[in-house]
Amino acid sequence: MAVEAPAKPTLADKIYDKMFHNYVWKSIFRTGYPNTPRNQMLVVATNVFLHLHPTRIHRTHVKVTHTYCLGGLSFFMFLGLTVTGILLMFYYVPSVERAYLDMQNITTTVQFGQLMRNMHRWMAHAMVILVFLHMMRVFYTGAYKPPREFNWVVGVILLVLTFLLSFTGYLLPWDQLAFWAITVGSNIAGSAPVLGPKTRFWMLGGFEVGPESLIRFYTLHVIGLPLLAAIFMAVHFWRIRRDGGLARPL
Amino acid sequence: MATTVVARPVARPQARARDEEVLVWPDLVFIEFIAAMLFTITLFFLSVVMNAPLLDQANADVTPNPSKAPWYLLNLQELLLHMNAAMAGIIIPTIWLVILGAFPYFDRDNEGQGVYFGTEGAVKITIIASAIGFFGTWLLILWDSGKIAFFLNDWFQLSGGDSLRFLENARSMQSQLPWPDWSREITYLPFNLRILDGTGSGGPTTFQHLDFPGWLVEQAIPIAFIVGLPSLLIYGMWRMGLVVTRRDALLALFGGFVASYGVLTLTGTAFRGQGQELVFPWELKVSEGIPGQE
Ligand code: HEM
Repeated sequence: MAVEAPAKPTLADKIYDKMFHNYVWKSIFRTGYPNTPRNQMLVVATNVFLHLHPTRIHRTHVKVTHTYCLGGLSFFMFLGLTVTGILLMFYYVPSVERAYLDMQNITTTVQFGQLMRNMHRWMAHAMVILVFLHMMRVFYTGAYKPPREFNWVVGVILLVLTFLLSFTGYLLPWDQLAFWAITVGSNIAGSAPVLGPKTRFWMLGGFEVGPESLIRFYTLHVIGLPLLAAIFMAVHFWRIRRDGGLARPL
Repeated sequence: MATTVVARPVARPQARARDEEVLVWPDLVFIEFIAAMLFTITLFFLSVVMNAPLLDQANADVTPNPSKAPWYLLNLQELLLHMNAAMAGIIIPTIWLVILGAFPYFDRDNEGQGVYFGTEGAVKITIIASAIGFFGTWLLILWDSGKIAFFLNDWFQLSGGDSLRFLENARSMQSQLPWPDWSREITYLPFNLRILDGTGSGGPTTFQHLDFPGWLVEQAIPIAFIVGLPSLLIYGMWRMGLVVTRRDALLALFGGFVASYGVLTLTGTAFRGQGQELVFPWELKVSEGIPGQE
């Protein structure tokens, strides 16, 4: 049998080879291009971000109508809110003297400031809705049943954290909407039997919404609650893997 | 000494069905990417055409009317209009969250998981429970704001006269019934609860008094409705043979919850105008408030 001589590499092949098969590239991405099943599995298994997934999953779970991507999108909103939030933090100072002026600055003079603020706001609303819908989808597919009991509980905690994240962010613009919404909200908390007034005082750092409340809400909003949420999300995702992926019929 | 280990059945992950599996890359990652892009693009355009609100600078002396919490708390603010504040704002949501978290410990059966409405009758239960939750909540809101009495009177000239006045709404049971004076001040607790709330320093033992009609209207009736109506719903559906398993009971409870939660949120958001009066969304106006005036 005549063996065909390998075609001479073209210029494109050479450039491709230089770019993707060199020492530095290989040190970052250990697997080859994911065009074979082996590489496709390796790419998921060797990448820390993709490794949230298993390398293979049951075929019913890639149907969009099974999850509607709601959990994933909740997480995506969380990531988007982190990015836009960090950008806003460059311009925002959580003091009563500056907060409102900074908001005005962000929306008028800062390049893309208004856009960042809008994105942050609408993503926050979207996240609350998505998390709630995700809970509904989990409930209606009976996915809280054994062995996923505890992950449902983690989910309920995440739901509360999502509300709290949104609530603490609401005060930061320091406008009338913010001020009175938090006044109403903290009055609700203050009405709790026995511990209410103390809770309210602790929440606001005083008897009224004021400078102390602003710095408390800010700290919780930008670091305390996101950290907690990230921890619970890590547990949530880990448990999904440990519980054998998503629920499917027996 | 040997310790005795009591073996309890623990649910284990299902064995994987490897022949039924597909690769995450590209099958799942592709879908996730598309979903993420759709949301990014949609939210981007939304942000281009619609600005986040920024009103006047915060001013403790100017109260907007109505003052509202963020929309996802307006369900609680709506409840607040109908009952004792601690109950609406704290006790009910807390208890509900605990119940919600306890769902999997109540319904431990594996049947019907992994598919939508996987048990028999699930769709039917959901539809009925949601419809009852939806209309029931609306009716209760309308009743408690006196609208039902108003409509009966205004549209059908049906008036119960003064003797039926107390049925107009919950509050009128307190004001329109001939409660004897003693019932408005019943001594029930011979010590001072203030010790705990941190506002007082204890002080001498005092007596707690109960305003019975007030208690009836602000606590007893709402509790009776909030606990009683869902229980009645589940009991009724059980008697009808619709609700059989624990999953069925949860389906009824959850369906009713989602519907009434939705109605409460919507009412609080779009149907509450100045002074928290019930109005149509197009009549909704917010007054900026006048300095120095509540
Ligand atoms: C910040 C909030 C949350 C995030 C980011 C999140 C994320 C996720 C993701 C990515 C999944 C994989 C499947 C899917 O996308 O549906 C998932 C599954 C799950 N989630 Fe969540 N979730 C959140 C809140 C909740 C809530 C509120 C609940 C319930 C009360 C919950 C309960 C569950 C359960 C039980 C599963 C396993 C579902 C199955 O096996 O089919 N999660 N979550």
